Amino acid sequence: MKTLIIFTLVLCCFQSTFSQNTQTFGKGNIKGVTVNASSNASKGIKTLMSTGYIPNPKASSRFLSQATLGPKLSEILSLQNQGIEPWLDEQFAMNPNFNLQNYVQNMHQSMVDSLKLQNPAGNYTLNNVFIDDWAFDVAWFQANMVSMDKLRWRVSLALSQIFVTSRISAFDNNPYALASYYDMLNKNAFGNYRSLIDSVTYHPAMAVYLTYLNNHATDTLAISTTNQTKKKVFPDENYAREIMQLFSIGLFELNNNGTEKKDISGKSIPTYNNDDIGNLAKVFTGLSWSHSRYLGDNNNVNDWSYTKRLKFFPVDSSEKYTRWWANPNTWRIVNGHEPGPKTFLNQTIVARPVADGQLDIRDALDIIFNHPNVGPFMAKRLIQHLVSSNPSSEFIDRIASVFNNNGIGVRGDLKAVVRAILLDPEARDCCAEKENTAYGHLREPFLRYMNLINGIGLTNQSGIYRNVMVDLYDRIEQKPLYSPSVFNFYQPGYVPGGPLQAAGKVGPEFQMLNSLSFSNYMNALHKWIISNDPIEYWSIFNNEFYKSDQEPKFNITADYVLAKDNRIKEFLDKYNLILAQGRIKAENMSIIQNVLLSMPITFDINGVPDPTLADRRLRMGIFLIMIAPDYLINK
Amino acid sequence: MNRRNFIKNVGCGAMGSTTLLSSLTSLGALNGLTNFNKNAPGEDYKAIVCILFSGGIDSFNMLMPTGTTVNGDNGFSEYLALRTDLAVAQTPSSFLALNNPQCSSFRGQNCAYSAFGVHPQMSGIRDLFNAGKLAFMSNIGTLIEPILTPNEYQNSLKKIPLGIYSHSDQIMQWQTSVPQSRDALGVGGRMADILNANNANNGISMNISLAGKNVFQRGQSVSEYSISDNVDPNNVGLQSFPSWWGNQGLLQEMRTNAIDSLVGQTYSNLLQKTYSATAKESMASFEIFKEALKRVPTISTTFPNTSLAGDLAAITKVMSVRQQLGTKRQIFFVNYGGWDMHDGLLGGLNGKLPVVSQAMKAFFDSTVELGISENVTTFTISDFARTLTSNGNGSDHAWGGNNMIMGGAVNGGRIFGAYPKMDLSSANNRNISYRGNFIPTVSTDEMYAEIALWYGVSPSDLCYVLPNLGNFYSYAANNYPIGFMNFNQSPISTTNHPLGCLNY
Repeated sequence: MKTLIIFTLVLCCFQSTFSQNTQTFGKGNIKGVTVNASSNASKGIKTLMSTGYIPNPKASSRFLSQATLGPKLSEILSLQNQGIEPWLDEQFAMNPNFNLQNYVQNMHQSMVDSLKLQNPAGNYTLNNVFIDDWAFDVAWFQANMVSMDKLRWRVSLALSQIFVTSRISAFDNNPYALASYYDMLNKNAFGNYRSLIDSVTYHPAMAVYLTYLNNHATDTLAISTTNQTKKKVFPDENYAREIMQLFSIGLFELNNNGTEKKDISGKSIPTYNNDDIGNLAKVFTGLSWSHSRYLGDNNNVNDWSYTKRLKFFPVDSSEKYTRWWANPNTWRIVNGHEPGPKTFLNQTIVARPVADGQLDIRDALDIIFNHPNVGPFMAKRLIQHLVSSNPSSEFIDRIASVFNNNGIGVRGDLKAVVRAILLDPEARDCCAEKENTAYGHLREPFLRYMNLINGIGLTNQSGIYRNVMVDLYDRIEQKPLYSPSVFNFYQPGYVPGGPLQAAGKVGPEFQMLNSLSFSNYMNALHKWIISNDPIEYWSIFNNEFYKSDQEPKFNITADYVLAKDNRIKEFLDKYNLILAQGRIKAENMSIIQNVLLSMPITFDINGVPDPTLADRRLRMGIFLIMIAPDYLINK
Repeated sequence: MNRRNFIKNVGCGAMGSTTLLSSLTSLGALNGLTNFNKNAPGEDYKAIVCILFSGGIDSFNMLMPTGTTVNGDNGFSEYLALRTDLAVAQTPSSFLALNNPQCSSFRGQNCAYSAFGVHPQMSGIRDLFNAGKLAFMSNIGTLIEPILTPNEYQNSLKKIPLGIYSHSDQIMQWQTSVPQSRDALGVGGRMADILNANNANNGISMNISLAGKNVFQRGQSVSEYSISDNVDPNNVGLQSFPSWWGNQGLLQEMRTNAIDSLVGQTYSNLLQKTYSATAKESMASFEIFKEALKRVPTISTTFPNTSLAGDLAAITKVMSVRQQLGTKRQIFFVNYGGWDMHDGLLGGLNGKLPVVSQAMKAFFDSTVELGISENVTTFTISDFARTLTSNGNGSDHAWGGNNMIMGGAVNGGRIFGAYPKMDLSSANNRNISYRGNFIPTVSTDEMYAEIALWYGVSPSDLCYVLPNLGNFYSYAANNYPIGFMNFNQSPISTTNHPLGCLNY
């Protein structure tokens, strides 16, 4: 079924380009294969699929703009030879090879070592030398400069915006918490969704963020033998609500194609009510730090506490420790985990001894995992992040079906889901956008930055980069794990006013676009490319020797020759391809070209352009490309 | 070629060019004026300021009953018994007392108590209340129609807001006042649709946001103009080229022109259209805003150094150049977040409530300084109130709660609505959960209707601004929705701008 759909679209596109006598089909180009519109469908598709899609440069760039954080020219060219499916196989085969937490710790250790060198008498250790949250950003940026598993990093960035935790929280200056959580996302990005929600649930960064760390069973007993006032404490509902609303099933029952089911009166059907929340809240009780001695123990919490899987406490025995001096008979020992059955989503987790409370958590995650909403819910979110804000219901249906069953009976296989999204005709096809005027998505500000870093090919000698991205966040209000709330930087159902609203379409990333962020973006771009200041280097300790190599600038000297009037078009075409996938329309290319041509240029006796003037022309060109609406909407 | 001529020459969209030109012309006309920041007698100017407390403020720890009369007003004891470890204080004298708050009743619900105080950190709010410049509204929340009993809620005999208890829905519904819909326009946007015609100059939107995109300010024909709290002409629009590039002025102009052209092109893709519309509007606004800001006078009111105070101070500055901006009606939007206190509630409130109190007090004082305190009405909104019972160290999502309305035209010093009884037994017909979640008594519609009438929306236009209002209220002379506004200086408008009633 799926291959047939691909082939139909292939043919339609092939025909449209055949008259130009090229071998391009869709955005793909088949080497040494002759296919024409009358080919037998199944034979044709087999021929095509034996090498997979071999894309032309624009298609190659377009694919990489969805599957990575932005292509380099060399990657575009190499994908053209390799083909998309072999590239995917290669990417999926790579293990996560960059551990952020290790990188943070190494940086931390080098701070300690350097301070010791400076002052041998000082007692410096990892525990008493402070390292700030920007160490995580340095590590994240480094990883993205050197890692080959580009697809994984693209997917984990999307996951970080679905399973949101954020440094705008109690761990605002702990890079270990952020790194450990992100490593967990990387590890699970191509794994199973069920393992992912287990890892998310047991991660301290999430437990602190959504306040279920030290969450306690209902307690309505007397405060003590001497104070008969009754307690009135109930389990925290925060995680119970958000895991269902934001991480798995959403507020309303869905069809497999992502549309909302309706009751007989035409109304959407809520997936849960407040009683479900109260019951699920009881499940997530009894979890504390790995080093805790009792439920509620917040002693000895350090940076590393946030990197270790939560520990389960069936019973609240805190008075053993907080009133150790008292007669044990007066200790108030109560349930930590809520006893009794818990009913939610029309299913009941049976009553079991509180000692087995982790089985409640397991069962609850199973119930959530097996809810029919998860497939369409996750399919839509991942498509929105990688490809397009308004996928057709057919597209969602196809991906949700892969989520439901990867072909060999496994539910929740994220690798299969990612592959299916990127190979789907609606993602690959050149024609879809003609029929769907809401195709594509607004590139979010942080992606624009990474597009620029990759597209211009920022590089240095040492291969080590130190980019704290602090000023970047102040300007564009986005970088990994810095969401203003659990609702992410923007919401998947956000509808901007104007034509999208009139058409009943969403534009999630538009939630971040306004007159202020628009000028902030332009001025950030100005700083990065016009002022050539793309990286923000900070010393990691006082009197550190400045390592200028770790703060590289964009070097575009190789392009200077293209600054000549008669070659400016070549230059713009090149960066249109790399940054905008060749999508900037001719009228806009001439507007940009005219600006560049009206900037002064002089030549030496050999006809070589003056480097300063050439540099300015080219930087202005890149700046304007990245302001153009046909760059900003990636379709 | 200057920017104005460029736009004229390339004709990049009729809207962009005419608004810019007319704006610049009217700016020129005002150049002779000197003392525009003071309210000229009879000046027709009104502004609404919406302060969003995103996250859901625990407003039953902002306004508390203080009575301790056994068998009488025993509000404080009831509060203490219910809130247990979340009680702000163990004695009522710790609260800042409100003078004779006259809490009465609303739609058949009696106010449960007569003595009240505010959080110990809110002396500014207490002072404003006691000076008659601030009122509270009690047990207000999102409603489609009145819900009089728990039974009506539990058995869905009345319409229930969509996504009740969910942040994203409730925060939206407080801004749209249309709880049955997820794609309604905002209340501030719809008011602007009605009243924007009063503004001479449309170069800058009458809806100005300090919090970026928001639903509240989105109308059919009006959308927000977002600014930063750094209200400085040098901080608006595109920054200059590095000085060492030379020819900065020319380069700047070429670049600006090119951007105008790029975003002024016609696009068929709806996302591109949406992006270019925002970009085009923004480009057109920068120059006008920048020019106006050059006229901001020295303001002597001191604002604390907090984000909320910074935002409100920015609003004061913008209002001070209202004449340069050619505007008689403005709506401002501010967000001060961080209220989702599932944990660390008491400490959290101790940190944030003084920020609120001090910032609002300073803002009120600054409107007095500008001579427009009776022209500016400020109110607070939030996703929802929070459960009265504890989850150990915090509270969870609930529904009806308390909010504030401030301004010289407010009938301050009173608690409107009906403060509910701190009681979770079946005797309390507001409570619907063992956690302590109250059905709102007052609807957001009623609050907004009162503000809209004061703001100059005619009674017959109310059904455009508040589609559900008919379920709660219909206008009659001298019969106001709640009574918290003083209409002496603001007669009910008879100017209709019929846009038709909205239905959802």
